[in-house]
Amino acid sequence: MKASVGDVVLPGDYCEEISAVGEKAKVIIGPGLQKEIDHVYVTKAGILKKRNPNTYWVDNYQKRYIPARGENVIGVVVQKAGDIFRVDVGSSTTAALSYLSFEGATKKNKPDVQIGDVVYAKMLVASKDMEPELVCVDSHGKKGRMGVLSDGFVFKCSLNLIRKILNPHCPLLESLKNEWPFELAAGMNGRIWIKANTMRETIALGNAILGAEYLSDEEIKSMCTNIATILAGHVS
Amino acid sequence: MGVEIDTKEFKLKPMKCEFNFLSKSDGSAILSQGETVTLVSVNGPLDIKMQSQSIEKSTLEVLFCTKGGKPSVADRYKESIIRQTCETAILGSLYPRSGITVTIQELEDYGGLLSCALNCTCLALLNSGLAMRFVFAAISCAVDESGNIVLEPTQEQATSARALLNFVFESRNKDLLTGFSEGSYSESAYEEALERCRAASDLVFTFYRDIISKYSNVI
Repeated sequence: MKASVGDVVLPGDYCEEISAVGEKAKVIIGPGLQKEIDHVYVTKAGILKKRNPNTYWVDNYQKRYIPARGENVIGVVVQKAGDIFRVDVGSSTTAALSYLSFEGATKKNKPDVQIGDVVYAKMLVASKDMEPELVCVDSHGKKGRMGVLSDGFVFKCSLNLIRKILNPHCPLLESLKNEWPFELAAGMNGRIWIKANTMRETIALGNAILGAEYLSDEEIKSMCTNIATILAGHVS
Repeated sequence: MGVEIDTKEFKLKPMKCEFNFLSKSDGSAILSQGETVTLVSVNGPLDIKMQSQSIEKSTLEVLFCTKGGKPSVADRYKESIIRQTCETAILGSLYPRSGITVTIQELEDYGGLLSCALNCTCLALLNSGLAMRFVFAAISCAVDESGNIVLEPTQEQATSARALLNFVFESRNKDLLTGFSEGSYSESAYEEALERCRAASDLVFTFYRDIISKYSNVI
């Protein structure tokens, strides 16, 4: 079946618009689309989206993470093997994280990372045929916000929820940050790390994030105010 | 016998579906077609044993559990049909050296269990977000004593029928993916049943699209 931008698409649909644009200019096709001999076919069920100039992708529901280059993820160190750490990021294989890819790390000065630690890192290599590779520094050798996440609480959620809360138009974090102080790291692999001053605040924050999955922007705002009043003890 | 077939004259059993019925699996769906109900869970791509890994595509594993829980040869046959159908539909080359597990649980069987299981598997795969070439729809039909063709037979119709035919179609060109049959039937009856089921598969594809649009609107 033919599909156009904004439609609900199923695997097997094709988009003539992309092929037509592709003849004149360069087109980027993202996840959920595949070029075959005659057409560009859809491979996932969701909504076909477009961003100028000529970037197309399918926004679909997913829980399992497939590594992609350049994404920030949260992983758990599961093994120390020689000069690399193996990190579980939720994909089919563990990712490798070299001990030299931390800020200021040298062969003599090894970073203090233990098995079971939670790390916030960037995907440097992600190919279907190779083991994914992580780094905890940017191209200037600075750690930025990456590295080991100490204390706090990690929970899992769907990949859509991560994209939703990281969207600059989403009011969730905007509303919550005015209510009480907290730290948050969202990994594109469907894991969220949060840290607040008290246990009550941490639980409230986690519930607010998970509850926002199927809510509209307006509903999110009122939910945040609700949770804040309950937390402040105005309503028991 | 008319070759021209109008979709409007068909009525399939009412279908109801729910996605994400299981919270822990990567993709799951529960589907009822009339009284028949199946539940499917899809997990993957996962890490699997070295000896079952394939360097060019993902390894698909299908488990079929009956209501009684006792494994039988008939279940292995169903598993192999479902596995072969899924292997053509899933773009396994995107997930080399990994495994995909599909678990099907029969909940109620009032006829048409296999086609219900296949449709439910397709919905669970859509929910899991695995890349697929196309979606597929399974339709069952029976040839009764007088040679008439009954779409989606009930349990009584199926037991008294001369032959039972099952077809699976893909969504791109409505080509036949899988066909399996039991009993005796004439060639013309087979041809007619094939065309009728092909036309009826449109209803299933429309149902898929409806349910996906309902879910896509909330995310």
